[in-house]
Amino acid sequence: MADQAAVVPVRRGAFGRAVAAVVWKDLAAEFRSRELLGAMLVFALLVVLIFNFALELDVRTRSTVTAGVLWVTFAFAGTLGLNRSMGAEKDRGCLDGLLLAPVDRSAIYFGKVVANLAFMLVVEAIVVPVYSLLYNVPLLVPGLLGVIVLGSIGYVGVGTLLASMAVQARTRDVLLPILLFPVVLPELLAAVKASEGFLQGLAAADILPWVNLLLVYDVVFLVVAWMVYDYVVEE
Amino acid sequence: MDPMPKGLKALNAVTGVLFVVALYLVLFYAPREAVMGEVQRVFYFHVAAGWVGALAFIVAAVSGVVYLARGDHRWDRVGLASVEIGIAFTLINIISGSIWARPVWNTWWTWDPRLVTATVMELIYIAYVMLRQGIEDPDRRARFGAVYAIVGFLSVPLTFLSIRIFRTIHPVVIGSSDPTAQGTFDMTPKMLTAFMFSLLTFTFIYATLLWHRLRLEVLSERVERRKIDLTAGGL
Amino acid sequence: MFLQEAPADTLSYMILGYIVILGTMALFVVRLALRFRGLRRDLELLDELERSEKR
Repeated sequence: MADQAAVVPVRRGAFGRAVAAVVWKDLAAEFRSRELLGAMLVFALLVVLIFNFALELDVRTRSTVTAGVLWVTFAFAGTLGLNRSMGAEKDRGCLDGLLLAPVDRSAIYFGKVVANLAFMLVVEAIVVPVYSLLYNVPLLVPGLLGVIVLGSIGYVGVGTLLASMAVQARTRDVLLPILLFPVVLPELLAAVKASEGFLQGLAAADILPWVNLLLVYDVVFLVVAWMVYDYVVEE
Repeated sequence: MDPMPKGLKALNAVTGVLFVVALYLVLFYAPREAVMGEVQRVFYFHVAAGWVGALAFIVAAVSGVVYLARGDHRWDRVGLASVEIGIAFTLINIISGSIWARPVWNTWWTWDPRLVTATVMELIYIAYVMLRQGIEDPDRRARFGAVYAIVGFLSVPLTFLSIRIFRTIHPVVIGSSDPTAQGTFDMTPKMLTAFMFSLLTFTFIYATLLWHRLRLEVLSERVERRKIDLTAGGL
Repeated sequence: MFLQEAPADTLSYMILGYIVILGTMALFVVRLALRFRGLRRDLELLDELERSEKR
């Protein structure tokens, strides 16, 4: 009983500080090397380029296909980022230091999610204007930007959990897409459809079901991942 | 090798009898459907197999939760055994569904929510197996399997929902038939009997196969332990 | 409706369907049986090795 009283004041601020510590560590490391962002960005731009030749992105089809092209690009670049982000964690043994701290393991999860989300949003923030310029498609639609954020949150939420497992396997690089894509499908479908809705100026009634699905997905999986993360980083 | 327990022998017998009766019911007792003819008989085992796939998934997810909560290795065995059975029966569901679709809708594949969800479910099952294969440590393998079974299980209803919304907003015309028709037919009482009995029979088949597969796993672990003992003793 | 069309002749599809259904189930059972046999043989082999070790 006595030691509970001693523990409580430590815990109250500790969680937030631990999350911030993880985020800061990742962002600072990336700021110095810019390896991860560089790789993700180059990859994303290449994908956009390839789509130009793979699909007939002429003026007529552009409006219907843009949402899909963007999200496929984000999904692939996102996978790359997740792999590198969680892989580096394991390789450099940073995780062990974090695990020694007397804080709820889920702080690591949320920290990584925020950091991975930041990386993904930076890449998206560059790809969207580039796409807009290359194909002359106006993309500064607030609804679209909101969907990109919502969709990325869900993607990174599940992706961080699954990547934490994938990097501990022998088949590390191949495994993450295999684990992630079937599970993240509803999120991607909803994101594409909602994006399309905003780009084509569809009625709110048509877009709303998709946005709702995005929200439900994000909440469900962030909560579940938070609950099971302990079991994924246990030694 | 422990002899087959009496309970399993009894279960084998009961399941065998049920299966023979079910075959009689679906092939002879149930009447031929008025419009699509004999191929409709595939429907009974097609749905029953789909039911087993769903049941297997539920069992795997629940086993996962219990395993994480209790750390009892036996629940991990149940999860693995269930997933393997799920892979086989979901495959049956998908292919038989495709074979049924061909004469009815003049296409091998329909993008209807149930068929697509079944396929995504199959991919998740396969990913589960691939994840386990990549992990050396048995404890970690079990934990990761449990986590993925839970995450995968939760994503399936969302996948189904997302494709349902997709279809209501974008009805797809399949061949020349009415886009809203799901190949429905009215079930006469005899058909209903065959249908319910098939579901019952396949549930028994699932339980029987699960038990056998669990025994196989126990034996497999025993052999592994003996191998380790032998090589360790030989040093 | 006094002139009803005969139902479509889809017997071949039904047969194909049942071959797939029953075949896949059979393959699963056979695979289980084969794995059982293999493991039992492994166990026998290990028993023999142990006996020869002890000598």
